[in-house]
Amino acid sequence: MTQQLFWRLLTSIPVLLGVLLVGFLMLQVIPTDPATIIAGPSGTAAEIEAIRHQLGLDAPIWMQFWLYLLRVLHGDLGRSIINNAPVASELATALGPTIELMVASLIWAVPLGILLGTLAAMRRGQVFDRSVTALSVAGVSVPAFWVGLLLLQFAAFRWQLFPLQGRGGPLWTLNGLHHVALPALTLGIIFVGPVARMTRTAVVEVLGADFIRTARAKGASEFRVITRHALRTALIPVVTLIGLQIGSLLGGAVIAETIFGWPGIGRLAVGSIVSSDFPMAQGCILVLACGFIMVNFLVDALYGILDPRIRSRIR
Amino acid sequence: MNTKASVPHPTKSAGSARSGLFRRLARDPVALVALLFLIVIVAAAVLAPLLAPFDPYDTNLRMRLRPPGGDHLLGTDTQGRDLLTRLLFGARTTLALGFASIMVGSLIGTSIGLAAAFYRRLEGPLMRLVDIMLSFPSILFGLALAAMLGVGMESLVIALGLSTAPPIARVARATATTVMQTEYMDGGRVIGLSDATLIRRYLLRNCAAPIVVYCSLQFGETILLAAALGFLGLGLQPPIAELGSIAAEGRSFIFLAPHVSTAASLLIFTIVLSCNLLGDAFRDLTDPRLLP
Repeated sequence: MTQQLFWRLLTSIPVLLGVLLVGFLMLQVIPTDPATIIAGPSGTAAEIEAIRHQLGLDAPIWMQFWLYLLRVLHGDLGRSIINNAPVASELATALGPTIELMVASLIWAVPLGILLGTLAAMRRGQVFDRSVTALSVAGVSVPAFWVGLLLLQFAAFRWQLFPLQGRGGPLWTLNGLHHVALPALTLGIIFVGPVARMTRTAVVEVLGADFIRTARAKGASEFRVITRHALRTALIPVVTLIGLQIGSLLGGAVIAETIFGWPGIGRLAVGSIVSSDFPMAQGCILVLACGFIMVNFLVDALYGILDPRIRSRIR
Repeated sequence: MNTKASVPHPTKSAGSARSGLFRRLARDPVALVALLFLIVIVAAAVLAPLLAPFDPYDTNLRMRLRPPGGDHLLGTDTQGRDLLTRLLFGARTTLALGFASIMVGSLIGTSIGLAAAFYRRLEGPLMRLVDIMLSFPSILFGLALAAMLGVGMESLVIALGLSTAPPIARVARATATTVMQTEYMDGGRVIGLSDATLIRRYLLRNCAAPIVVYCSLQFGETILLAAALGFLGLGLQPPIAELGSIAAEGRSFIFLAPHVSTAASLLIFTIVLSCNLLGDAFRDLTDPRLLP
């Protein structure tokens, strides 16, 4: 088990390097020249050249990448080209709110999705099942920004139930919860549908298995059969799906953060890419890709805990 | 079923299977409504210049943000342009974007997938590449590419195509790997066909059906992504009507005149919903093993 996870960790290193390389090359070919932007409209050619040299923009491209790699390994992600702030500290400030937003979204969306999916599977073919299916199709089809705009328009503006913009503090404070509610609703709604759907499929499949019949024959209550026997097996594909959906969760976070002025990494990434601030954009991409790889790794680790069959096979 | 239909003639049997599929599809009322809606929307988008009651670029600041009703059926937008006209042209742009992106994505994805299955030595590196592409959240991918290539139709199509390519590559590789194990591929090699002929004539043709099905299932998602990029301001330049950017334009006036972004968002929602409903019905009807 540990060995398996160690190998999994090792194989993610080339992926990470690839991500770094692709991100770096991608941001190298941005047509706007940051040195020209810094020098301003009155900058002379010599000044621009000096700034280019100071930023290391005149070194060969592989050299720039190598230097960047070394600095990243030392935890130095460079400074923002736009406001000269250290990228690492900016990222550290922005990462917290984004994780906060994701936790606040997943904490209600995943249990709700699993609950809806399980109930739908138990009432297979009935009205409830069909409504859940319809709702989950609607959920994956709705543009995330529309959900955000509707919440902004009604819950925040018309009914004045929630603040319009920004973050109010840590999640455990009342003000923090009050502020996170609307962005977390926007982001979570994308998640409920796919989770409910996957849970339903998995539970329906598991309910036909022999061990469920055995559990019922032993006289276990329906609640126990579902929670102890069916869900434990059915949750494996659901966990995989959640891992795979982290990418779309990040995409949704960009939108939710933009609409509700949430000071997270999604907004930072959009802003830095638009202003061709490439140390910052590269930092954002690196952090987001790292997060994605780490989540996938955790999902793999969770398999073993959820499914004893996998654990024993690996051992 | 007469005996003639069971004669193994590839084109004929495929044709009859397809018409049977459509007949079964027609029996599903939800899928039928979705299909009809999509046909109407596509027709309206194609015929937008003929159908639109006004000019999509004709601004009139005295008439801005008018609510629906009167001369302007759906009201006017932030520049006083007729919203119905904008939406018709917007749907035209968005659908074209989605279609072009799927074409680019399937071209890249299929090439990678087939190459990985045909040249086994390339499989590891190519699929790692696909992993890397997948680890970029598609919106961020689109953002970076739009920033890199400049804002415009071409860069948007490439960005959207690149973000749809990795899952298509996986489907293509999975299908092509099973096709590679068939005897006719060995046979083709034995009689000395070139790699190019083998891939084009035999591998691609036998992988085409699942790939096309998968691409059509991706269409709704691609439209949604295009609209999201448009909403973030990384779509097409402002005067061009595109559904996502119309929703974004209306965003600044969401409290004053919510009809602008609501109408655009609702149209995106119904298009994507129809695509997804149709895709689900299609998936239920075709062999589920066709898809991973």
